[in-house]
Formats: sequence, C-alpha cells, structure tokens
Amino acid sequence: MIPLAADLNELALGIFALIVAITLGITYWASKRTRSATEFWAAGRGITGVQNGFAIAGDYMSAASFLGIAGLIFLFGFDGVLYAVGFLVAFLTVLFLLAERMRNAGRYTIADVLSFRLNQRPARAAAALGTLAVAAFYLIAQMVGAGVLIQALVGIEFWLAVLVTGIFMLCYVVFGGMIATTWVQIIKAGLLLVGTALLTILVLNRVGWNPLDLFARAEGRSEDGEAYLKPGLFLPKPVDTVSLGLALVLGTAGLPHILMRFFTVPDAKAARSSVVWAIFLIGAFYLMVTALGLGARAVLGTAGEEAAGKGGNLAAPLLAEALGGGAGTVGGDVLLAFIAAVAFATILAVVAGLVISASGAVAHDLWSNVVRHDRDSEHEEILVARIAALGVGAVAIAIAIIGGSGLNVSFMVGLAFAVAASANFPALLLALTWRRFNTTGAVTGVLVGVVSSIALVIMSPGVWPGPDSEGSPFPLANPGIVSIPLGFLGCWLGTVLSREHRPHRTFQELSVRSETGIGAERAATH
Amino acid sequence: MDVTTGRSVDWERIERLPEFRELVARRRRFVVPATAFFLIWYFGFIVLAGYAEDFMGTSIYEGFTVGYALALTQFVMVGSLGLWYLRYSERHLDPLRVRIAEEAGAATAAGDTTAAPDAHAVHEGRFDRPPPGAAEAPPAAAPAREPEANR
Repeated sequence: MIPLAADLNELALGIFALIVAITLGITYWASKRTRSATEFWAAGRGITGVQNGFAIAGDYMSAASFLGIAGLIFLFGFDGVLYAVGFLVAFLTVLFLLAERMRNAGRYTIADVLSFRLNQRPARAAAALGTLAVAAFYLIAQMVGAGVLIQALVGIEFWLAVLVTGIFMLCYVVFGGMIATTWVQIIKAGLLLVGTALLTILVLNRVGWNPLDLFARAEGRSEDGEAYLKPGLFLPKPVDTVSLGLALVLGTAGLPHILMRFFTVPDAKAARSSVVWAIFLIGAFYLMVTALGLGARAVLGTAGEEAAGKGGNLAAPLLAEALGGGAGTVGGDVLLAFIAAVAFATILAVVAGLVISASGAVAHDLWSNVVRHDRDSEHEEILVARIAALGVGAVAIAIAIIGGSGLNVSFMVGLAFAVAASANFPALLLALTWRRFNTTGAVTGVLVGVVSSIALVIMSPGVWPGPDSEGSPFPLANPGIVSIPLGFLGCWLGTVLSREHRPHRTFQELSVRSETGIGAERAATH
Repeated sequence: MDVTTGRSVDWERIERLPEFRELVARRRRFVVPATAFFLIWYFGFIVLAGYAEDFMGTSIYEGFTVGYALALTQFVMVGSLGLWYLRYSERHLDPLRVRIAEEAGAATAAGDTTAAPDAHAVHEGRFDRPPPGAAEAPPAAAPAREPEANR
C-alpha cells in the first residue's frame, strides 16, 4: 500500500516517537513500583474510579471502533451505528451484573471469580481456556490491523509495523505490568477523545454547525441515496443483525481484559463508578465517531471510497487530511499525522491490556494453580507472568506476520466476541447467581461455548472456502444467536447431570462476599 | 475474626442476617427491572433495524431518520440508567452494606462461637467437606490462612 502523503512519514514518525517516549518513561517509573503480584496484575489496587473509567475506555475503544466504525458508517451508513450502540449498551450488562461482584470476589483474573466455590483446578483451567481464546483472537486481529494501518499511514513495511507495535506492547507489560498498562490506556483515551473531538468540530464547521444537516449532506454524496440512511446495506439478513446485537451486548461482559480492570481499584464502589465514567467517555466517543462517519461521507463522497480501502478503515484519516486543507497542504499533513499517531496509541493500549490478561490466565491460573497447586512463591508467579506475556506476545506477533495483511481481521474480532459471549459470560454469570451451578457445568459450558463459536464462524459465509461462499453450512456471519444459548445449555446440562465433589467454598461465602465486599481483596498499602 | 480479609468469617450467619436479605432484595428490585428494560429497549431497536428497514429509514427532519433518533435514545438510556444506579446504590444499598459489615465484625468481637472453621484453611484441591455440625464447632485454634497467604 502507498502512504497517503509522501512527506507524512517524518511528521507522523515524530509524533509516534513522542508518544512512545512518554509511555516508555511511564513504564520505567511503573517498573520501580511493580514488585508484588498485586502490583503486577492489579496495579496495587490503587487506581481511582475516575482513572479506571478512563483506562476502561482506553482498553475498550480499539482501532476497530475508531477507524472501523467510522469506516462502516462512511461506506454503509446506518448499519455501522448498530455496532456503536451495541458496544455501548454492553456496559449496562457489565455494570448491573458483574463489575462490583468481580471486584469483591476476585483477585487478578476472571478465573478467580468463576472458580471461587468450584473445584479449583478444572474450573480454573476452563476459565483460562476461555480467557486465552478471547485474548488470542482479539490480539491477532489488533496486531494485523495495526500492521495494515501503520503501513498505510507511515509507509513502513507490514512486518516491521507489527514487530514495532509488538515490541512496545511487550515493554509496557513485561516491565511495567498493570501500572504501566493502565497509564498507557489513560493517556490513549485522552488522546483519542481529543482527536475525535477536534475532527468532529471541524466536520460541524463544514456543515454550518447544525448536526442535523450532516444526514442530508451524507445522503446526497452516496450512490445508495435514501438507502444510505436506512439499515440493511452492511447486514442484509435480519437474523444476522439480531445475532450480532446479542454477541455485542453480552460479549463485552466476557472480555477478560475489560473485567480484569475491576481488580485495579480499591473497592466495589470505585468499580461501580468507574463503569459509569467509562459509559460517558465511550458514549461521547461513539457519538463523535458516528458524526465522523457521516462527515467522511459528506466531505469525501463516493470519490473517497477507493482510497478508504477495504472496510473503509482509512476513511477517518482521509477525512482528517481533507479537513486540514487537503493532501499536500501543511494543515492536511499535520492533521493526518496526528490522527495516525492517535490510532497508533489506540492500538498499543488495547494490545497491552490483552497481553496482561493472557499472562494472568497462564501464570496465575494455569501455572500457579493447575500445575503448582498454589505452592509456588510470589516471586515465581511474577516471573512466570512475565515469561507468559513474552510468549503470548511473541506468538501473536508471529501469527500476524506469517498470516500477513490478508488475514481476515473482522473474522478474528467476531470470533473473540462470540467466544466471550458464549463461553465466558454464561459460566461467569451462572457461577455468581445460580446456587446449584457446579464444576462440571462450568467446564462443559466453557468448552461448548468455545467449540461452537469457532465451529460456527468457520462454517459461516465469510470464512467457508468456496466461490461466493454460497454453500457455507451455516448461513449467518454472526454465530451469537446459536452459540450463546448453546453455552448456557452446556452449563445447565453439565450441572444437572453431575454432582459436585469437594467444592472449594460455599455459595453463601460467594454470595455474601460479592454483595457486601466483606473479605474482598484490599488495596496494597505502601 | 477480621472482616477486611475474610478470614474465619461466618458466611452462613451473615447470609441469614435480615440486613443481608434486604440488601439482596433491594439490589434485585433495581437490577432485574432495569436489566429487563434495557434489554427490551435495545433488542427492540435491533429487531426494528433488522426487520423494519423502511420504518427506520423514515425521515423525521431532513434526513434525520427514525433509526438515528432511536439510536440516540439508546445513548440517553445508557447514561441515565448508569447514573440512576449510582444514586440508588449510594442511597439504598451502601448504608446496608456498612451495617452488615458492622454486624459481622461485632459478632466476632463479642466472642461469637458460631464461627465456622474457614474453608481457606485447606489447600485448593485437597479440601474435604467439613464434618456435619462443623458450623457449631468452636473457632479454629489458629486463625486459618488463605492459601495465598502462605507465600
């Protein structure tokens, strides 16, 4: 791919370098404060509610939501908005059902909560499988997306872009743990909100400050005419729309890197308020992204479609260039370089969050508990966590480089959300609320959720090999409507067909602890 | 007993406290209808987007369609329910939590002998069911430690 502007490289690289220098400085500072396991995975539980709200927003608003949703709205109009709405409404599921309970019952990983009263080793192994599946698919998708974007925006080779992103991601996590990850996410959330706000103001300036004028102008520049403002251009099958909606609203509540953030605050009250902060930040962000998608259509029109690339991912950077004065102008170059740097920071913050959640699953759940029966030292646990982060990161970098820019990113993201909604969410919700739920139920539920999600996505029209994917065994692009009920069914069947042997703790303990916070992990004292 | 670490807390006794029952009931009174409402509102929107394209595409004002208006109501709903839950928790749930923690602490300070031996005492994976009547047994001689505390 050709860089958007020939002399962009130096400017964009300069802003990249500044962001990297600041975040590496923070990582050095954080590394001095990361000695215990609580500091490595949970930032010593010293993050405030407001800070965590920004960090959740920074962890969640991926390049896929910024560039991807703006691009979808640019190309297909209304259907892109469905993603924005689903991603936001999902936080009510997190707030009402999980946030406070996670904080009260867990320590570092979602497996802590899932296996709280179950037979530790099988339940933790199952939970770790769910976490690793989600983190792996999401991480590979983000790495490939990062490579494609940086290649297009800065003009360096795909493999080099992936490698550079991966190395910085690993620096943050391995040396700075959750403290560095948190601050990278907070800075990124601020940068992204400033960047989108700036572009939104420039878009509104173009249309005479009346946001309602955006709709008519966007419609006027689309070949689809009236259909551009209606649903159905991107998701022509109604069942697919509903299935996607289901996966979005329940999948977020099963994303390990988001749920892990609740362990970083001092108490459940802070966890609660951090979700509401995140809701307002993310809500404002998606409103602005919608305006940018429509704005890109109104400003760039049909002529911009080819340059925006497959999926319209470059629509927002192109819009920035046009709003700054166009290609080749100083304003256009500066704005484009700034947005490219914001996209880079966005990717770094998300992949760091994913890697640290995966390292928790490997070191805390699989190594310490399943392999070492909790007889390892804290020193060993952190060492294994750092090695695990390196290992997971290296594998993701390798797959992204070998798979190359042709790897289907939306397939990977869809898979991550399907597994999160079908495997992690049912098991976690039932572990917290259903007295009879047992170890066998958790293991079968997670396995059924993971296997059915992967199988259905492979059999879906977009992935199944063959011309036009006409003969795909499963008709829907989004498996949620089938795989989520299957996940719950797996939990239920496993539970009713078995008896619990040697439960770890009682349901009463989980219930009292998750509702009141009595016995919850405390913040580290310094 | 130490309420802040959860060591040797009598969970079953707290679970039977009227304050705890009230906490669970009050939380449910908010969360169940609120969850039902947001799911219905959200899936109503999604189903309309899937099956009623023309209705969603009806222009209200110069291209601002029903679909976009309904999408905007989703943003308002999420923000309002979030803030409402914060207020409800602070006014109606947190005071109960404080009282429950005080109750739990007071019982032990007074030498409550119904405290059950702590399940944490036993390592994960090697835990055997407490013998029948364990709930009435005197507190374990040495305070049990969480497995992680052994590190």
